[in-house]
Amino acid sequence: METSEWNPLGYKPLYRELFKKHMARQEELLRRGRPVGWFYTFYPSELIYAFDIVPAFPEQYSAYCAARGSAVNLMNFSTSMGYGRFLCDYFNVSIGAVLAPEKATQPVMPDPDFIVGSRGLCFAHCEMAYALSRIKKVPHCYVTFPYWTREIVGRHDSLTKTPEKIDSRYLNYCVSEIEGLISFLEKVTGENINEEKFREAFKLAEETSKLLIKILELMTSRPTPGSQREICDLVVPGFFVLGSPYAYEFAVKAYELINERVKRGIGVTSEEKIRLLTFGIIPWHSLSLYEYCERMGVTFPVNLFINESVHLVEASKPFESSVRRTIHFTNADFDLMYDVVNDVKHVDLDGALLIENPGCRVSSITVRPLAEIIEVELGIPCLILEISQCDPTITPLERVKMQIEAFIETLES
Amino acid sequence: MFPDNIYSYFLTKDKILNYKSFGKAIIGTLCDSVPEEVIHSTGAVPLRMLGLSKTTENADVKMPSWLCYYSRRILEDGLRGHFRYVDGVIGACSDDTKMRLYSLYKFHVKPTFSHILQLPLDEDEKSILFFRDELAILARKLASFLRSDWSMDKLEGSLKIYNRFRSLCQELNELRVGDSPKISGVDYMKTILGSTSMLKEDFNVNVQKLLENLKDAEGIKDYKLRVHVSGPEFYDVELLELIESLGAVIVSDDLSTSYVKGHIDEHGDLLRNVAKHYLNCPSLAFFRIGAKDKIQLIKDEVERSRAEALIILRDKGCENYGWLCPLITEELGDFPALVLDIDTPIFPEQYKTRIEAFIETLSD
Repeated sequence: METSEWNPLGYKPLYRELFKKHMARQEELLRRGRPVGWFYTFYPSELIYAFDIVPAFPEQYSAYCAARGSAVNLMNFSTSMGYGRFLCDYFNVSIGAVLAPEKATQPVMPDPDFIVGSRGLCFAHCEMAYALSRIKKVPHCYVTFPYWTREIVGRHDSLTKTPEKIDSRYLNYCVSEIEGLISFLEKVTGENINEEKFREAFKLAEETSKLLIKILELMTSRPTPGSQREICDLVVPGFFVLGSPYAYEFAVKAYELINERVKRGIGVTSEEKIRLLTFGIIPWHSLSLYEYCERMGVTFPVNLFINESVHLVEASKPFESSVRRTIHFTNADFDLMYDVVNDVKHVDLDGALLIENPGCRVSSITVRPLAEIIEVELGIPCLILEISQCDPTITPLERVKMQIEAFIETLES
Repeated sequence: MFPDNIYSYFLTKDKILNYKSFGKAIIGTLCDSVPEEVIHSTGAVPLRMLGLSKTTENADVKMPSWLCYYSRRILEDGLRGHFRYVDGVIGACSDDTKMRLYSLYKFHVKPTFSHILQLPLDEDEKSILFFRDELAILARKLASFLRSDWSMDKLEGSLKIYNRFRSLCQELNELRVGDSPKISGVDYMKTILGSTSMLKEDFNVNVQKLLENLKDAEGIKDYKLRVHVSGPEFYDVELLELIESLGAVIVSDDLSTSYVKGHIDEHGDLLRNVAKHYLNCPSLAFFRIGAKDKIQLIKDEVERSRAEALIILRDKGCENYGWLCPLITEELGDFPALVLDIDTPIFPEQYKTRIEAFIETLSD
């Protein structure tokens, strides 16, 4: 296929700066002997700043191993120890990294003093927290959130995660869960929560979240202004370090770049031909796939997976905001998928590329009904590909490219 | 009354269809964390949904084929119309697959009534009260759908029936642990499976007769090895038949489909008692209560039944046993264990050599 010029937004140096500052904070806190916590997504990340905790993220670390090529060895090691092949890739990679650190991409995560699992997306996060805390012999804690239904939340906005309502019984229960997490953190750190830092972190998170939402809204412009190669890493400020000053600094600059580009009508590719919605956990081992597509003139103005990582924080309602964060269609009855699809009806789309990740029950069970809803509600065809998020051997990149090319040809004809 | 008669109700659903013909509503449950007592107290017939299709070609179009066969077979039966007599389904947030199986079933099969119970991950008082309120919401919603009157008196009546059911099952289970077990693992499983497809009051009458028949039974003497079977939902008796035909006797198990224990207090706040029972029962969820409880249950059962070995039937797509299995074998140390990865369709013959070798090695 013909290729055209590729113009990424230029987020790479911004991410580099973000990671540099995050690592500098980690090192400084480790020098001070601050406790290390391992966390899973959909917990209130603002708390790590309120407690001066050194956070590490097994999911993010697993993605890092996948990008650096050690994930397959780690997964094989984990399965050789008896863990199931069809567990979440992140589960097997992190078990492998903990049991055989010499096989893992360096530097490995700092040893935890405690582990926090959250049921804001999946049970696998809690299962991983349990299994890893058992191996590391450290305390663990879970935070439970409901599997949201229409009855409990009504309709919801898929970017801000603002629901029409939240049944107060569930809201109160979730708030008490977060309070339980705070008590746990107070116990493991031996300190009371720093109220001032807590407020400051939520204030920063609010400003950051507004900018991240705007970035994702601007991505839907025509021509598509940015590359998914860059947008996919928004999960870092969205999920993991939200509430930090460096996440805010990143968001300000990232917003300026994309806003400027939209004003000037510049796209990620000089010749945009096809615009695709996408969903599914990013194949971290083959991020070049997005550049490959974009060079063909195929862009991704909407990534529902990335949209799941943002929510509108309200600093005046920190607990409620943290609960709302979990109201997303991958943690909800399928009725809520209609809201998500409805929210992108205004976007010019030609098709959808949906990814089923073996081992991930959340993305894989969701994808096919999502495809049915997209086809009916948006009237566009969908291509479903099975791609592992960490294991490139499941579906070789060349085969994926061939399938996408065939799909594009169908859309163009 | 023999186990095969009771088992036939599981295979044919004759009893269920009979209740239906008398105007009873049939409410299917997608997880053993759903308290049947509550459904029963609204006047409906609870049915534990277990797919009987041997292959899952229709479900595999709607969901990934690497998922557990338990979920694929339920959806397969739903898509084939085998559950057409089911008026409603109730799921529970007990694991990633079951939550979304509920949504998927609803999306494709469109039952008239549907509801999902939110399960807390803890078993403290706050969680018990939260789950109690979940059960109250379910009871009111279901009673409204059925246009029936639901009351605590009715719940009390249902509790008595279910407590009797549990007590009879425990009595039956005890017959497995003697030196000469009076009931085989296969017959025990067949009996319990029968209970999933009939009203418990009818089952209780049947199992009482069975117990009387078994009282003077000679028991099984010519076995080589006493085994405990562990696993998630499992209900393919053919594989258990193979295990026992090769010289083992299954003296205990903790399968989600056949482990029945406990007693619910019939006094005080009844819904709270039900909630407490279901949040504490080790067989009901792998994760919610922590693996250590599940592992302890296996250890206790092994000790009680004097099992000499463990056979784990691991559904290859089961998320729970995917991570629990190495923990169980590690915790049990040198205790002999055989792990069989199972997928549907099950061809018992493919496991024969491994099971045979396992039994022979240990019985030498």
